[in-house]
Amino acid sequence: MNTVIIINLNGNAFHLEEPGFQSLRAYLERAQAALRDNPDKAEIMADLEQAIADKCAHFLRPHKNVLTAAEIDGVLKEMGPVQSENAADAAASASTSAGNGPNAESKSSGTAASAPKRLYQIREGAMISGVCTGLAAYLNIDVTIVRIAFVVLTLLTTGIWILVYVGMMLAVPFANTGEEYAAAAGAPFNAQEVIDRAKKHYAEFKDSKEWRRHWRQQRREWRRRWHEGAYWWGHNLQRNVQQFSSSAGYGGHLGATLLIPFLAVFNAVLFCACVAAIVSLATTGAIFGWVVAGSIPLWASILILIFFYSMLSQPLRHARRAIYFSTGGHSYYWFAAWYEILSTGVLILVCWFAYTHVPEVRDFFQHFAQNVTTMWNNIVESFHHTATHQPGPGVDARLPAAAAAASASAFLALRT
Amino acid sequence: MTTDPKFNPIRKGLLEFLILQIISADKVYVADMMKRLQETDFATQEGTLYPLLSKMRREEYVDYEWQESDSGPPRKYYKLTAKGKTQLAEFKDYWAYLNTTINQLGR
Repeated sequence: MNTVIIINLNGNAFHLEEPGFQSLRAYLERAQAALRDNPDKAEIMADLEQAIADKCAHFLRPHKNVLTAAEIDGVLKEMGPVQSENAADAAASASTSAGNGPNAESKSSGTAASAPKRLYQIREGAMISGVCTGLAAYLNIDVTIVRIAFVVLTLLTTGIWILVYVGMMLAVPFANTGEEYAAAAGAPFNAQEVIDRAKKHYAEFKDSKEWRRHWRQQRREWRRRWHEGAYWWGHNLQRNVQQFSSSAGYGGHLGATLLIPFLAVFNAVLFCACVAAIVSLATTGAIFGWVVAGSIPLWASILILIFFYSMLSQPLRHARRAIYFSTGGHSYYWFAAWYEILSTGVLILVCWFAYTHVPEVRDFFQHFAQNVTTMWNNIVESFHHTATHQPGPGVDARLPAAAAAASASAFLALRT
Repeated sequence: MTTDPKFNPIRKGLLEFLILQIISADKVYVADMMKRLQETDFATQEGTLYPLLSKMRREEYVDYEWQESDSGPPRKYYKLTAKGKTQLAEFKDYWAYLNTTINQLGR
């Protein structure tokens, strides 16, 4: 037994089994998308609907007035995928297997290669808004890697990267229709996919009660932590400022003016050194020629490097904030702007210097795309290596130790 | 005749002219066109044909008129325009030229 849906195809009423209706809708949606820029879209859609209606009519008898899902699938296969006439219409490639021939599958795989990819936000499995899940689908990599990259970038840019996230959150559209989901992953879109997705949704929905409870718990936990953290930060800052202004007074003002360039230079140099170290590690497997202990995988050593960097830079940042505040609220922005300009200037200077005087750096930038790909492949490989291979007993003990050290340093860095 | 995917671009490019040729004989509707192409190497599907025909109409090589049919709703019958006839003649000339070129090159 199956639910029956009545539809109107270009003025003709048809009774379809529900799965058949789903595939038909998917087919027409896809046709709409393919003809998006076609000036005759409405007319072609009407023609297609009429053609489908004609084909469907062949299956109807006085005592059989419902079209089965299999019949609809057959009709749609016979119709063939709709291609906009100027964009890669593989007309003839379809011609070799017209009708419902056995090579119908090869056709859809042909479109797979040319399926356009678009960036969407995907709510399914999203932590915040779906930016990372969308990016992961777009780049065809694991979402965890994207998330780690975002966190790392946020740490490295001292939070500015969050703005990129927020910007994408606002600018990147959400994937809503099945076709958009397909475009997000660059996968071919067909009726079967829609059906599979619907089944999956249903399964998820069945245990959604438990899932919702879990989500609520998680949210509560996040809120609690957020409040705690905010309170602690404010409290600490206030104390720092009080210490500074009481001990320094006007001298503090002058000292701050002199201290800021120093901090800016130091921070910029530190940042460059960290980036260079990571690049050197990822491309050659050694930091400026110094080989890291072989048992630590590449990704872990990069994480450790980043933690060292934040351990060094976090106290600097706090000192800077304290200086801003010690000079009194009104000149805060002026100092902040000056600091940013200075450190950006130093950053550019260091990059320029390295580019003109260090041949390795110049090499790196001249084959930038290739090098980045190599780096990325190295990191992913090391990740997979650790994930798939059970480490030996010696490494077994060292890995958790490294992880513990890393988290401890992170903790310290935040507490400073 | 052949399924070598290397020939696909050729078939693809020729389809438009074959449609001109089919229409040149008599007014036809899409199902007719499909049936005639079906027996050849150029068999195609509605999903491809409708967008192609609409493009050709936009470029004024073909036009259609509605005709009542006794077995269903009115159908679109396609016919060649003057521009379409010229194009078809040009195509045939060019095709003959290509044939001679290909044959002569081997000598």
